Amino acid sequence: METLQYWLQGFSVATLPINLMYSFIGCVLGTLIGVLPGLGPAAGTAILIPVTFNLDPIGAIIMLAAIYYGAMYGGTITSVLVNVPGEAASVITCLDGYQMAKQGRAGPALGIAAIGSFIGGTFATFALMVVSLPLASLALRFGPPEIFSLLLVGLSLVTGLSGRSTLAALIMTLFGLMMAMIGMDPVRGAPRFTFDLPPLYDGIGFIPVVMGLFGVGEILLSMEAPVLEILKTKLTDLFPSRSEWRVSAGAIGRGTLIGFFLGLIPGIGAVIPTFAAYVMEKKVSKHPEKFGTGVIEGVASPETANNSYANASMVPLLTLGIPGSPTLAVLMGAFIIHGLTPGPFLFKERPDVVWGLIASLYMGNIILLILNLPLVGFWAKLLEIKYEFLYPGILLFCILGAYSLNQSVFDVGVMIAFGVLGFIFRKLDWPLAPTVLALILGPMMERNLRTALEMSGGDMSIFITRPISAGLLIVAAFFLLSPGIRLLRERTGGGEKE
Amino acid sequence: MKRNWQIMCLAFVALSIVTLLLSFQYPYHDRLGPGPGFFPFWLAIITAALAVVLFWQITFTKAAPYPENRVLPNREGGKRILAIFIGLVVCLFLLDPLGFRISLFLFLLVLPLALGVRNWVALAIFAVAGSFGVFHVFFYWLKVPLPIGILGI
Repeated sequence: METLQYWLQGFSVATLPINLMYSFIGCVLGTLIGVLPGLGPAAGTAILIPVTFNLDPIGAIIMLAAIYYGAMYGGTITSVLVNVPGEAASVITCLDGYQMAKQGRAGPALGIAAIGSFIGGTFATFALMVVSLPLASLALRFGPPEIFSLLLVGLSLVTGLSGRSTLAALIMTLFGLMMAMIGMDPVRGAPRFTFDLPPLYDGIGFIPVVMGLFGVGEILLSMEAPVLEILKTKLTDLFPSRSEWRVSAGAIGRGTLIGFFLGLIPGIGAVIPTFAAYVMEKKVSKHPEKFGTGVIEGVASPETANNSYANASMVPLLTLGIPGSPTLAVLMGAFIIHGLTPGPFLFKERPDVVWGLIASLYMGNIILLILNLPLVGFWAKLLEIKYEFLYPGILLFCILGAYSLNQSVFDVGVMIAFGVLGFIFRKLDWPLAPTVLALILGPMMERNLRTALEMSGGDMSIFITRPISAGLLIVAAFFLLSPGIRLLRERTGGGEKE
Repeated sequence: MKRNWQIMCLAFVALSIVTLLLSFQYPYHDRLGPGPGFFPFWLAIITAALAVVLFWQITFTKAAPYPENRVLPNREGGKRILAIFIGLVVCLFLLDPLGFRISLFLFLLVLPLALGVRNWVALAIFAVAGSFGVFHVFFYWLKVPLPIGILGI
């Protein structure tokens, strides 16, 4: 009964005309970010935080969340029409989406992506409503050892699953934690690694780092081959044919479930659910050999999983205060800027924000469906903007966003420095997501580690004598060690064959 | 690419050593428990150890976790990257003294020019809209504080 009251409260907030307008603006801006090459959802959301400075917290969060899931759909358009994913989660859509476009079927590809995204997103939002309150109540029982172990699970997941080398990913995580140490010591409140520079007393700004790594770094990388070849194709018949519907229905169902369950795991990122959905679809298909040649299931399943994941990944953020991806970390930063701390206490302190946001996800999904189907042609036109104007334009908003957070030129410098680092790391294929997550989770991690050790008088066994913490540590160890074990097994297997 | 990965490992070892040395400035332990030096000390040691292991793996084993693509951009790409980098750094230093409008006007005028645009009308419209126009929207309408330079613009 209590849950139902919260749901109703959420809908009463989300359906206020002003919040519907914020949701609409967020969806438009998000789709734009997803469409524009060189601007992913993390950097895009970060850049647009200043737009929300003078909004009330609920409106601001609703708008930024809409930007996030809007960008997830926007990336599809470039995947299908240009064979360049607008964001990482749309990489797999290129395989069949672009082939469909080459065969003159770009319309059904984009249509099924929009419909699948709507179904996946709506289901995940409903499930989010059901699971978030019990999970938040459970999280309230967590003490510092459990929170530290949980954060370790999040970081080990993003580390174990990213990049081509787990060691490199681990180093990148530790690099993020090192950056997080700059500023005030989170337990004693004394300055640390600040070199007597006043701008460093607040630490390295997380938002300028994201803008640098994912915005400036991406633009520098794009500069090597900036001209996109857009497929000249007619965007008519957005609705798939009856036979296409038949094969897509199951793919959408499976994509929804995969996206939702993987979204519950903090740190997994948006790429894995889409790949998992694609692989699953290929496995259950009667004609797996046709995947990659333009089959509609190859678009429907990952695109559905993508948006289902985007909404489900709000669960760890809202209930535990743990962002699962760089974009969600930016969203967490936005919560903090607006004086809100995501986590179980938010459900008690500001139910209007939490439930208003959750209900707004429904509205956003409807808005995205209405927005995207008729406007696909318009979004495609945006891809024709010349890169000589597009990239300086994006950089303008990066500078504006970085400066306006603290009215600090130093933050603009941080953004540029991390832009160069992001460019180098991308060239070397060292993953960036672990650094970003470690940077935002670092202070929380250190605080809980040290508080737990204070509780135990310095005895490390506190982490393994408490059952929840021990269980979480086992999970963390599994994710960190599994790539090494797999490699060892492959090598042993290879040795036997030889 | 192998060489670049090795350099990266050495850079992280160097960073770890610096962090370790700096961590000695802060107490490792105080009367309440682990002090401000505790976390950086262990982070530096673990990072250095992992970087050494990765260096060893790259150098002395058959494992090749690195991609084989080219690291340095081609000549044209390199010029464009340099133009953007210089543009950003110059803008960074002009932002406070000249203010948002003038520094971004120059940035948006010169950068597309450096990237090859020769349509002066389009350039002028783009630079004015992107600097003065964006300033107006964010400063006056959205109340976002932006720098105003010594010229009062």
